[in-house]
Amino acid sequence: MKGRAVDIRAAAIAAGRRRGRALRLLAYLAIFGAVLWSVQVIMIADTDWARLAASSAGKTLKSFLEFDYRLLPELVDPTIDTALMATLATLAGLLLALPVAWLGAANISPLGRSSYVVGRFLMTVSRSVHEIVWGLIFVSAVGLGALAGVLAMGVRSVGFISKIIAEAIEDVQPGPIEAIRAVGGTRLQVLFYGILPQIVPVVLGTMIFEWDINIRRSTIMGLVGAGGLGLVFFRQMAMLNYGGVATVILAVLCLIILGEIVSYYARKAVI
Amino acid sequence: MRAKPSFEPGALIAEGAEGERTAFAHGAAAAHGTPARIPAGWHRFRFPQSLYRYAALLATLAFIAFAIDRLNIDLERLPGVLGRIAVTLGQRYFPPNIEHVTHFDYLHSVLETMEMSYLATVLGIALAIPLAWLASFNQTPSPRIGYTLARLFIMACRSVHEMIWTILLVAVLGFGMLPGTLALMLFCIGFAGKLFTEAIEAIRPGPVEAIRATGGNRAQVFVFAVLPQVRVAWTGISIYTWDVVFRAATVVGFFGAGGMGWYLRESVQRIASHDVAAILLSIIIVVVAAELFSAWLRRHVAAAIA
Repeated sequence: MKGRAVDIRAAAIAAGRRRGRALRLLAYLAIFGAVLWSVQVIMIADTDWARLAASSAGKTLKSFLEFDYRLLPELVDPTIDTALMATLATLAGLLLALPVAWLGAANISPLGRSSYVVGRFLMTVSRSVHEIVWGLIFVSAVGLGALAGVLAMGVRSVGFISKIIAEAIEDVQPGPIEAIRAVGGTRLQVLFYGILPQIVPVVLGTMIFEWDINIRRSTIMGLVGAGGLGLVFFRQMAMLNYGGVATVILAVLCLIILGEIVSYYARKAVI
Repeated sequence: MRAKPSFEPGALIAEGAEGERTAFAHGAAAAHGTPARIPAGWHRFRFPQSLYRYAALLATLAFIAFAIDRLNIDLERLPGVLGRIAVTLGQRYFPPNIEHVTHFDYLHSVLETMEMSYLATVLGIALAIPLAWLASFNQTPSPRIGYTLARLFIMACRSVHEMIWTILLVAVLGFGMLPGTLALMLFCIGFAGKLFTEAIEAIRPGPVEAIRATGGNRAQVFVFAVLPQVRVAWTGISIYTWDVVFRAATVVGFFGAGGMGWYLRESVQRIASHDVAAILLSIIIVVVAAELFSAWLRRHVAAAIA
């Protein structure tokens, strides 16, 4: 009798394994089939290889490698502008992110559930719209110039910064909040003396991280008319001076390596 | 200036040990009949710290002023910006021309965007795995050359913005989905490569040593000691990478690669604002849908393979 029960259990386990294996096989097949399909669409149907082979793609590629060093002195100012734009955008992002985080943190959201949903929705919209699109919107609102770029990157940063801050607020220790409430602190005082001191390290860490990303973004804000390295890049591209383009990219790389070094040490200092 | 000692518990907590002692002494004095002085309000930071705080604040403000001046930012444009955006959106972009995005060609471009992001993610991850192996300091087979080169390559992919990659590749390969896919692939290598490397660097050394002790070579160490430890993390990262790549894929068309961005550019150039609004709306919807889908998939796959 007992042996039978064991047999039935063993059969059930074996069946479960077989089903798991079948499912996994199905998943692999689906992944592989989708790859084949995409290859068919992108590389076979959409790409005209004969034209590509006949074109001057190789020559274009080679002309990228002939760096145009005469451009270097003209790149110093745009590089500084780009870094400044990224920094201002990060600060603007923080300024905008604090109220959004206040709305989107489940434990302190001012109107409970409804304002929480609004906060989360703002975060999602900010993150899901690409910085190019934000740039287009802000250029049409404030005109060409660095302001549009700063606002676009700032708004785009809000999603990430406020999400992290909201999570930090949801994780604060209740002790200090209770202490401030116990001595009769108002809601605002609880916010400033109970919650804010606890989230400062998180805020600073997130800012440094976002600053790093914003440097990357600010290198393309020139494409929608916000100045900086992106504008030089676009001009060189329009002049078909591919060596100059490569030099601009070199400057971008240098700036980003510099930014990475700065943010590494800044993060060390904060933590 | 020293804050006046007070009897409030809040002040007691805030003032630290020394303040507490003085307050306690005063409390004792009060008990003996000396009238307590009214607290002049306390501050979280006292003299040396408060000075640093104010200096930091001042430096930040000075920096902002300098940056605004240098970038020629016209702050007068700032106050009405929300109103202007509302007016622009309300008058020029509203109502979105929904018919423009339910058109068959446009829906097809959504499909193209998905195909581009999918192929780019698969190729990018296939290339990111060996690169991550080379670029992790604890597992790299060639600590000098391979490590440095792989690190540099991943960093270069990550540093150059995906739009710059797109423009460059469109210049070399011409318009079409191929340059877009390759640009997204490079972006994916940079993004996934870094996270993959961090996952390898965080593994426990025990299994690695065990495989090595039984005479396993580097490939065997990777397959039997590293891979089982990073499998779950890598799967999650891969799905998340697809999500991020898809977000970028909706716009690469703006610079001549295929997909939805192509329609966005075309509408922007025609100044057909209602069409632009509809396209932007559709981009937000598909990106949010992709985000929800990737979160759902991550949760279920993690549960299935853990």
